[in-house]
Amino acid sequence: MIGIVVVSHSRALADAVVELATQMTADDGPTVAVAAGADGGLGTDATAVAEALVEAASPDGVLVLMDLGSAVMSAELAIELADLGGTEVRLSPAPLVEGLVAAVVRAAGGADLATVAREAEAALTPKQSALGEPAAAAGPPGEDGPGPPEVSVTLTLVNPSGLHARPAARLATVLGRLDAEVVVAANGREADGASSLELLTLGTGQGTGITVSATGPDAQRAVDAARVLVEEGFGELDAGTG
Amino acid sequence: MTQSLTQAQLVAWLGAFRDAVHEHRAHLTELDAAIGDADHGTNLTRGMDAVMALVDSDDVPDTAASLLKAVGMKLVSTVGGASGPLYGTFFLRAAAAAGDAETLDAEAVLGMLRAGVEGLASRGKASVGDKTMVDALAPAVQALADAVGRGDGLPAGLRAAAVAAAEGREATTPLEARKGRASYLGERSTGHTDPGAASATMLVEALADAVA
Repeated sequence: MIGIVVVSHSRALADAVVELATQMTADDGPTVAVAAGADGGLGTDATAVAEALVEAASPDGVLVLMDLGSAVMSAELAIELADLGGTEVRLSPAPLVEGLVAAVVRAAGGADLATVAREAEAALTPKQSALGEPAAAAGPPGEDGPGPPEVSVTLTLVNPSGLHARPAARLATVLGRLDAEVVVAANGREADGASSLELLTLGTGQGTGITVSATGPDAQRAVDAARVLVEEGFGELDAGTG
Repeated sequence: MTQSLTQAQLVAWLGAFRDAVHEHRAHLTELDAAIGDADHGTNLTRGMDAVMALVDSDDVPDTAASLLKAVGMKLVSTVGGASGPLYGTFFLRAAAAAGDAETLDAEAVLGMLRAGVEGLASRGKASVGDKTMVDALAPAVQALADAVGRGDGLPAGLRAAAVAAAEGREATTPLEARKGRASYLGERSTGHTDPGAASATMLVEALADAVA
């Protein structure tokens, strides 16, 4: 699993955004290391960023999310200062809050560095979509020719608010860990089942019908897992469903 | 000319820069308040105080390269704002260029400053005309290079560099900022001298004073 570093001018801001983002995953999410503040006040400290890079270093790479201004320069300098062996480090241009939430969820699903970086960069899509601005076309990359056998199921969302943030994150995390390509379709749109962001853009609510289609070795497990989560209402139903 | 920059002069340079940022702290902050976040004077005095605490301590590094590297690391971890990684990179690159040279003659000082300024410009992705420190530092390096080419001594070369830096600083006033916090202001950043160019001029003037 990749590691994640948060660079912020403010310790309070960093701690809060990490709390917000890690709330979306179970306790087995990625390591999120923080470098925030300088000399006890607001600011960024490249030596602290270097230490955070070492703390979060993973053979799968490290993604760095930053707030603004000197955070970017401190992060660039930190890469020069830190002794990281061959660890690949990417600095993400994503907005800090949206980007970190997306990155933590996608990283928890076991995605590689390039995929998590892409997910973070696309993190404004749900907000743009909610506010009616044109967003980048959602959906997984198209595949030519006949694909592998597909397993699919149509389900009705029973939890109060459909695939909103937390259910989308849970579903994406579970599906991301399976060896399957999963497409979730609803309201005439399609989303990559491992992308909580794309799931959010489906615009679902209670009672929305969704179709989960999967290919790959774990296709059946993916569809079964989605069915269980949906039928349990993502743990959001009042009646003692355990 | 065989004059070289001594370790004592390097220390005097740092001390003179610290004194200058202290003396002009309110002015730097005022410039920064106009087009930035009003912390440049405060940040730099904090950073240079930390640097001088190191320089005045018993374990002050005894070579140019190790001293400049320690200064860079100290600035990086104490300044906080954008000038931390920028001046930090300046000193770290200057340290690398100084290498294990036993004497820093005019040629070596030029190489050191040039490497520092190139590193700083590349860290900030800034060019001359962006209304930044680079507007003062790049002409200063060029002036020193011209002086060294003419065979002027180090004191004369650094004095010319200081004059060029001040001219570069003044030239930032009518410019529209294209980097940093000030760039958010767009046209409203015109008519104000860039605080980074102001402190960078102090850095060059301090060096000229230290070898005068």
